[in-house]
Amino acid sequence: MSEHVGSELGLLMSALLDGDHACALAETRRLLAAGVTPEHIVTAGLESAMRQLDEKCTVEGFNLLEIMLVGRAVSAVVKELYPAGGPLPQGKATFVIATPEGDIHDLGKNIVKMVLTGKGYRVVDLGKDCPSQDVVDAAERESAAAVLVSGLITSVVPQVRKLRDALKAKGLEQVKVVAGGAALKQASAESLNVDYVAETAFDGARYLDQLVQARP
Amino acid sequence: MNGLERFRATAAFQAADRIPAIPLVFGHAAVLAGVGLDEYLRDGALLARCQLEAQALYGTDAVYVYMDAFVETEAVGSKLRFGRDSYPEVLEYAFKAGDDPGRLVVPDPEKDGRMPQILEALSLLSAQVGDRLVIVSALEGPMTLVTQIMGMQDALYFAADHPDDFERLLDFATDVVIRYGIAQIRAGAHVPMVFDPSSSPSIVPAQFFREFLLRRLTRIFGAFRQAGAPGWLNIPGHIQPLLRYCPEAGVQIISLDYEVPAAEAREVLPTTVLVGNIKPMDLVLGSPEQVFRDASALCESFTGRGGFMLSSGSEVPLESRPENVRALVSAREEKE
Repeated sequence: MSEHVGSELGLLMSALLDGDHACALAETRRLLAAGVTPEHIVTAGLESAMRQLDEKCTVEGFNLLEIMLVGRAVSAVVKELYPAGGPLPQGKATFVIATPEGDIHDLGKNIVKMVLTGKGYRVVDLGKDCPSQDVVDAAERESAAAVLVSGLITSVVPQVRKLRDALKAKGLEQVKVVAGGAALKQASAESLNVDYVAETAFDGARYLDQLVQARP
Repeated sequence: MNGLERFRATAAFQAADRIPAIPLVFGHAAVLAGVGLDEYLRDGALLARCQLEAQALYGTDAVYVYMDAFVETEAVGSKLRFGRDSYPEVLEYAFKAGDDPGRLVVPDPEKDGRMPQILEALSLLSAQVGDRLVIVSALEGPMTLVTQIMGMQDALYFAADHPDDFERLLDFATDVVIRYGIAQIRAGAHVPMVFDPSSSPSIVPAQFFREFLLRRLTRIFGAFRQAGAPGWLNIPGHIQPLLRYCPEAGVQIISLDYEVPAAEAREVLPTTVLVGNIKPMDLVLGSPEQVFRDASALCESFTGRGGFMLSSGSEVPLESRPENVRALVSAREEKE
């Protein structure tokens, strides 16, 4: 049975990695009808596909077109598995993600969200042009392991710098701050007063994987 | 030599008295002048005045007539929202999946959107400094225009789901670029810089560039060359996979993002003028000493080669420290 399931999931993975959302959705429905659990589809299907994509997407091999097509397929599968939009079953960790106030570019943020969702994390998306206080409040409310901010323009730097102290003031010093995006990735973690600066969505996801694995 | 002579000599790989310094000062000029960005981006005369003031402050060799990445999509029909101190955002795109690309109309640069303001800025600057500074206009490349007409996400899905209609959109965008660019040249631009961030390998694979974008850029640069202007391409990001296509596309000048090692570009493009590529964030967070050191080393690395213009690797950020931009410009002075 497990070999059979592995083969079936292989078809789903191929569809996901090809960015063929219609095929991925059809495969998912077929797997569910065959008795495969949503949890297994996430852990052995989506997460495996994301790992393969991760290996392929080096800094110089990362392209948005491919990621977005895979992302659309992943989203279609997740929506089919959890139509109510509830959290994924693994509960590995929750992250809060936002584009800081003053920046209305949210594509990078959406890509990170897709990658993390595909890896089985719960991601609370606060949208774009988001005040820092909303990020801190959400981190507390959602018991987030980290807050993630993506910035395309340099003018958001002062807000990003304040995040860690604002978290600390609420007793949330254990919550990590991760920055990324075309502007923020040019700066060091020290200069932004954050825990990590991600070069790409997958680079950030790797940092978060390690963070979650190291948790007690 | 004045700035224009210096630019032209360097563009022809001829001897110049020093390396041209042409950091990409766009909206930063408004910040320096204490002018709201929303005014700067809608008033050609104001843009021209701010550019002249910034040029006088920094002693650069160029003025830039560029508002933002949305001038063309606005002229095509997209609706924008302006903030006082930020670049605009698109509220409503001119084209949606399912629309007929054939209904789109190439805008008239004399009439539509803010294009007339751009042409006015060019005319003013041409009359005032056109004989001593290089006047650079900038416009979006075809892929970027398509992503601005319908939004990045929808445009990429459209490319995958409806490739034939997507190509029709690209052809439309190419027509827009050519008409707008030639109008800019006629209004006084010495060189229109084609800014095409959406064709970066971080957005679409190099194969996509080769199959869909290369021949359209070739058409654009051919038209500009016929109108008397060199081809200048600016694509941010890790563009190493695209460099080898530049000669075929008619690119004579190429901007390098800070992420591209100049040495790699020199090797692939021995006869193409390279522009770049100090990290923009260093102009905000760095020190004048650091910027000067990096810019000097960059200039030094081109000794004996020529065909190099010192610039920022992407736009000078709005809130850049003036002393850092000055340090960038002054680095070339030491290399006479």
